[in-house]
Amino acid sequence: MTAATVSPLGLCLVLARKDLRLERRAGEALLVTAPFGATALLLAPLAVGTDTPLLRELGPALYWLVVLLFGVLVTLRASAVDGPAQVAMLRLAGVGARVRLAGRTLANGVLLLGFQLLLAPVAVLLYDPDLTGWPWLLPVFVLVAAGLAVLGALADALAAGLAGRTALGPLLVAPLAVPLLIGATGVLQAARYGRPPWPWLLLLATVDLVAALLAAWCAPHLEDRT
Amino acid sequence: MTAPPTASPGAASIGPVFGRRLPIAAGVAGVVGLIAAMVSPPDFVQGELVRLMYIHVPAAWTAYLSFAVTLGASIGWLWRRRPGLDRMAAASAEVGVFFTGLAIALGSIWGKPTWGVWWTWDARLVTTALLFFVYLGYLALRRAIPDPLVRARRSAVFGVAAFAQVPLVHFSVLWWRTLHQPPTVLRPGDPSIDHTMLAALLLNLVAFTLLWALLVRARARIAAAQDRIDEAEPTRPLAGDAVSAPRLEASDV
Repeated sequence: MTAATVSPLGLCLVLARKDLRLERRAGEALLVTAPFGATALLLAPLAVGTDTPLLRELGPALYWLVVLLFGVLVTLRASAVDGPAQVAMLRLAGVGARVRLAGRTLANGVLLLGFQLLLAPVAVLLYDPDLTGWPWLLPVFVLVAAGLAVLGALADALAAGLAGRTALGPLLVAPLAVPLLIGATGVLQAARYGRPPWPWLLLLATVDLVAALLAAWCAPHLEDRT
Repeated sequence: MTAPPTASPGAASIGPVFGRRLPIAAGVAGVVGLIAAMVSPPDFVQGELVRLMYIHVPAAWTAYLSFAVTLGASIGWLWRRRPGLDRMAAASAEVGVFFTGLAIALGSIWGKPTWGVWWTWDARLVTTALLFFVYLGYLALRRAIPDPLVRARRSAVFGVAAFAQVPLVHFSVLWWRTLHQPPTVLRPGDPSIDHTMLAALLLNLVAFTLLWALLVRARARIAAAQDRIDEAEPTRPLAGDAVSAPRLEASDV
C-alpha cells in the first residue's frame, strides 16, 4: 500500500490505528499513566485534609488538573517508540507531515478520552462532587481530549528525540492548555448555578480550532529537510 | 624560542559586544527618565507608590516588544533560514523573560501596600505569569536541542505558537473583571492619565526601549561569536581517541 492510493483521511486513520495498536500492546497510557493519575487523586485529599465539604468543592477542579497534567504524559509517549527510521519510511511512502501529525492527534484524542473516562468514576468515588448538569460533561470530555491531543502532538513533535522530552513536553503544553482547564471547570459550575454553559463550550471549541489550525501550519515547518 | 600564544579560534572576529553610541544613548535616556519619574507629581490616590509605574509599565512594554520581535524573527527564519534571525529571536526572548519577571516582581511590590497581598488571582497577573512560563519553555526547548539547525527550526515554530499568549495578556483586563486597571495609554481616545505623568512615563518607555535594544544586540552578538567559535573549533574526542563520546543527535518527527 502506498500513500498515493489512499486518501489523506484514510492514511490518518491507518496511522492512528497503528498508534492505538502499539498502546494496546504496551498499555502505557491506560495501564500506567491512568493509575498514576488515580493515585494523584487519592493523594490530594491527604495534602488538603479530609474535609469532606471542601473536597466536594475541589473534586472537579482536581480531576481536570490531573487530566491536564497527566494527559500530557499520554500524548508524549508516542515519539518514544517512533524512531527516525519509522519517520523516514513514512516520508518515503509519501505520507506528509500534516497527515502524520493528524494521525497522532487522532490516536491521542482516543487515548485521552479513555483516560478521562477511566479517571472520572475514581474522582466521583473519592470526592463525591455535586453532579448537577452532568450530561454537559459529555461534550466537555470530547473537546478537552481533542484540544489536549492537538497541543500534545505538537509538543511531542517539538520535543521528539530530545533527552529531556518528558519534562520539556509538559512545560510547553501546560501553560497553553490553561483555557481548556478553565473551560472544563466552568461548564460544570455554570450548570450547577443554573447558568448556560454554552460560553464555556464555545471557549473550548475555539481553543481546539485555533490549536488545530496552528498544528496544521506548524507540521510542514517541523520537517527535517536537510 | 617558543611560539607566541595563539588566540582561540574565532576570537579575532569577535566584535564589540555593547557598541559605543547605544550604551551612551541608553544611559542618558535612563538618567532623564529617572529624573522625570522623581519630579513627576505623586498620585492623588496612590501617593508616592505611583513612581513604581515608571518602571513597571516600561518593563511590561519591553516584554511585549521582545516577544513580538521573537515572533517576527521566528517567521523570518522559517521563511529565509538566516542564522542571524534565529539568534535575534533567542536574544529577544531571553530579554523578554527578564522584563516579564521584572514587571511581575514590581507589580507584586506595588500590590502589597495597595491590595494588601503580594499576589492575587487576577486575570492580568495570571496571564502574565503564564506568559513568563511559556517563554521559559521556549528557552528550555532551545537549551535541549544541540543541533543548531533543528534548534532554530523547532524554536521558530514554538516562537510563533507562543505569541498567542501576548494578546491574551493585553486584553485580559477588558475580557475579565479584574483588579488590575484597564489600559490607560494604549486605548482609543485621550489617555486617562495626567499629562505630566504621561510625559514621564513616555520618557521611561524610551529609556527602557533603548536598554532593550542594547541588551538584545549584545546577546545576539555574543551568540554570533559563540557560533563562530563552535564552527571554527574542530571536533575533538572528549576522552582521547580510544573512547568515543555518545553523540547527541536530535531526531525529527
